[in-house]
Amino acid sequence: MISGIPLSDVLLVSGGLFVIGLAGALLRRNAITIFLSIELMMNGANLALLGYGAALHSLEGQIVVFFVIAIAAAEASVGLAIFVALFRHTETIDVNEIHLLKW
Amino acid sequence: MTTTRLVFDAAAVVALLFAAVMVLHRHPAKSVLSLVVSFFALATCYVLLTAPFIAAIQVIVYAGAILVLFLFVIMLLNVQQEEHRGDPHPIQRVLSGAALLLFGAMLFGLLRSHGGAGLPSDSSPIPDPDDLAAIARLLFSDYLLPFEALSVLLLAALVGAFVLARREKAS
Repeated sequence: MISGIPLSDVLLVSGGLFVIGLAGALLRRNAITIFLSIELMMNGANLALLGYGAALHSLEGQIVVFFVIAIAAAEASVGLAIFVALFRHTETIDVNEIHLLKW
Repeated sequence: MTTTRLVFDAAAVVALLFAAVMVLHRHPAKSVLSLVVSFFALATCYVLLTAPFIAAIQVIVYAGAILVLFLFVIMLLNVQQEEHRGDPHPIQRVLSGAALLLFGAMLFGLLRSHGGAGLPSDSSPIPDPDDLAAIARLLFSDYLLPFEALSVLLLAALVGAFVLARREKAS
């Protein structure tokens, strides 16, 4: 119970966000949309961290989420640079068309 | 049911709804914009979970910087919506659907059986949510080494992105 919000609500929303992100990462074929889905999964994990941090009266959850957001920023910049370089080579970012390293 | 819970649930429903719109929409730019709405709703949830600092970071860094970077790349590459192709690899689709169902069932079963029970009793004092100095003290004492490592990581990402996206000179 965090100031009137039961922890089960927080965990359910966090799990829902994670599953929606997983669905997007598995089903979509556009590399940018897959990347966005991964960001969504990270946000689901962040919500669970903050929920437990608030329930345990601890600030460490917020510290971990701070690190996750900073690493997500670094990851997004490198990933998008890869997509730009890939698009220059192959003229597409459809992951069905990019199969150089795939069997 | 308290007002706080009502507001939290409403924001959570908005976040989930727009996350689903993000996954289902075929146009990448519209996906990014619906994810922005979802992240704003999540920031509301973070405020209610007594984490206003993280809520501000969420809006400024995630919605403000990262998603704008995505939007910028989508505009730069001029990605059109995915064309409906006749050969969507049915096995791939069936397998990913099955994996998803299994994962969702496992997750919700786990949450139902656990549901936040088994937490230690609240004896420690509740940290003041408006006290940013407490977070800063923790960040610059116990977590100083990860914090400095993070700055090196950001520098490496900056240099890496620059090298990757640089146009090769035609020699």
